[in-house]
Amino acid sequence: MNPIIFNLEKLPDWFGVLPEIILLVFAALVIILDLFVSQKKILAAVSLIGIIASGALSLGFWGTELSFFNGLILTDSFAVFFKLLFLGVSFLIVLASEDYVNSFRRLQGEYYALLLLATTGMMLMAGAGDITTVYVSLELTGISLYALTGFLKDRKSTEAALKYLLLGAIASAVLLYGLALIFGITGKTGLGEIARAVQAQLSGSASVSPALFLGLVLLIAGFGFKIASIPFHMWVPDVYEGAPTTVTAFLSVASKAAGFAIIMRVITSVFAAPDWLARDWATVFAVLSVLTMTAANIVAIPQSNIKRMLGYSSIAQAGYLMVGLAALGSSPFPGALAGMSPAQSGVLFFLASYAFTNLGAFTAITIIAQKIGSDEIADYAGMGRRSPLLALALTFCLVSLIGIPPASGFMAKFYIFRAAVQADLLWLVIIAVINSVISAYYYLRVVKVMWLESPPSAEKVPSSALPTVSLAVSCLGVLALGTIPGLIMKLAEMVNQFMP
Amino acid sequence: MGLAAAFWVMAVFAVAAALLVVSLRNIFRTALALIVCFIAVAGLYITLSADFLAAAQILVYVGAISVLIILAIMMTREVRQGNPANRPLKLPVLAVAVVLLGLLVYVVVASPWQVSGTPPLAPTTGPLSRLLFGSQGYVLATEICAVLILAAILGAIVLAKEKEE
Amino acid sequence: MTVGLEHYLVLAAVLFCIGLYGALTRRNAVVILMCIEIMLNAVNLTLIAFSRYVVPQLLTGQVFAIFVMVVAAAEVAVGVAIILAIYRGLTDIDVNNINLLKW
Repeated sequence: MNPIIFNLEKLPDWFGVLPEIILLVFAALVIILDLFVSQKKILAAVSLIGIIASGALSLGFWGTELSFFNGLILTDSFAVFFKLLFLGVSFLIVLASEDYVNSFRRLQGEYYALLLLATTGMMLMAGAGDITTVYVSLELTGISLYALTGFLKDRKSTEAALKYLLLGAIASAVLLYGLALIFGITGKTGLGEIARAVQAQLSGSASVSPALFLGLVLLIAGFGFKIASIPFHMWVPDVYEGAPTTVTAFLSVASKAAGFAIIMRVITSVFAAPDWLARDWATVFAVLSVLTMTAANIVAIPQSNIKRMLGYSSIAQAGYLMVGLAALGSSPFPGALAGMSPAQSGVLFFLASYAFTNLGAFTAITIIAQKIGSDEIADYAGMGRRSPLLALALTFCLVSLIGIPPASGFMAKFYIFRAAVQADLLWLVIIAVINSVISAYYYLRVVKVMWLESPPSAEKVPSSALPTVSLAVSCLGVLALGTIPGLIMKLAEMVNQFMP
Repeated sequence: MGLAAAFWVMAVFAVAAALLVVSLRNIFRTALALIVCFIAVAGLYITLSADFLAAAQILVYVGAISVLIILAIMMTREVRQGNPANRPLKLPVLAVAVVLLGLLVYVVVASPWQVSGTPPLAPTTGPLSRLLFGSQGYVLATEICAVLILAAILGAIVLAKEKEE
Repeated sequence: MTVGLEHYLVLAAVLFCIGLYGALTRRNAVVILMCIEIMLNAVNLTLIAFSRYVVPQLLTGQVFAIFVMVVAAAEVAVGVAIILAIYRGLTDIDVNNINLLKW
């Protein structure tokens, strides 16, 4: 534990959710300021300040192992890592949103406020220590995202919002049924209490009670929707295509990371022991992983809309991440599930790398779409000549998604695959590597269109300041994680999970 | 005995109403069947000595959610258009639902539920309020619900507001 | 025959599966919302039955059910807002033809 300046044991409960409270205060401030301020850039600035303040406060909880509100919320490095990830993503999204938000004169305050509320929900998800907080924070995130998806109010956007809401509600009902079964068999709601009750019931018996097992299956189905694993991915292509591109970026990165955070929190704490139980869900994730990456990569090949293609690409990336979850469950390291396992740090590193990479790719697309008014890959012809830097940045991000050094995607895959090999999952790694090769085909096709085909017009594609900053930060992040991965990896290896 | 009779009556009403919701062609009648289902479930809550929840069920589901849904039907004049089903998917989904039901029933029968013999707490309103708002209870989840409602209000305003020209 | 925990759980399972079937086969968005409400009611019934029989003195299941009700109401509010937006001609899609399982 880090040296702590003052006695954390005596802190009032609200202290544990201070980062979230700050973010909420700024969300409210944005809504109120929206009424009085005519210069709307101030709203973005206020949101950014709120995000930075919340991030600084979150950082103070690094290395602590505390629970607040009677165990409803936990603060540990695991939560802090994810909170900083979500805050970092929404910081870059706010920057990248400048052009988009300027296109609607009203409702700008609501856009930023909903973005901050969704981030708050995700931060609470990362620290949730009780199935009630898991559920309500999941729904807070979900409802904010449904509204953000429909923000454009055109045909595609509204249809996407309706589809996302209906499928999301069905998925959360399934998840809720799983939580109810786990509550019923243990009689507890706190994750730590549930874990102890499960272990007490399993000690001495060689099989798991059917209710617990079905609860686990329903949980994986419900969370599978959040991380867009096949076969729970039906919403992804339409929603990614219909939503505002900045929101798509947010969905594909933050929402997915939140899904993995909550999976690791719930499944690795409640179903960690004994070994055979952990191996059971590891096998489920291994199978889902194979299905997800293979199907998504094959369907991505014929896509002509770049948002749709990146939608399938992000499904495939969830498949690689699930290789990490499978390795986590069958990890040969004792105590691996309390954190400090190569599989967990690999998943965390992958999520950080994926966040920068996908944000970079989507920001580049946002900037290009704003100027050429199209998301069709064919219209990207000659982008290398019309706007070399933009095309270079997008190329770099796509290369990272394939997993070619020096981009961070390579190191991310390397860490996860190494952990999987150590956990005797060589077959899974081989399938994942074959999939990476398949995926190179559709990523490189975009690169080829951009650099080798001749542009329809020689007109330059200019970009506005803030989104460019966001893009530059993302690309630097991809480069930094790819060339000096040790730094973040050290942090990821220090991440612990606290069980009250 | 009275409790058992009440359970069976409510159960039959709830299942019949739910079946009507998924099968009726006239969407307005579908909404009415849904209300019957909600009321039957409220009755079941009473047999489980959840008095506060039964009242909340009537207020929230019958009073608010049903009215919202009927409003949506009226505003969109969907009564005439009916309640079409998705033909090609009917059978596979039916199979999934039946398999899930079989699994659930098996789980209910085969799981070692630790049924406690102690009588339930009644009335529940006081203890529930302490759980919802007390520092030893779920006050944080209650507060997150408040934020969730804020998000829902913002979202509803954004989505339903007329598009500016 | 006395009514016990299992009776309530089986009833809730039946309601849940009816709701799931309806939600995935209907094409009218309003009806899908109704079916989702049936599913949430089924889960609430499960939670309250567990609360009554497993932890009769604690009421934790009932508290959880209250949170579910809040979420259900919020979801319906946002859902109806989207449906109204569609109908009022803000867009030209048909509420009667939402196909959830198409990909």
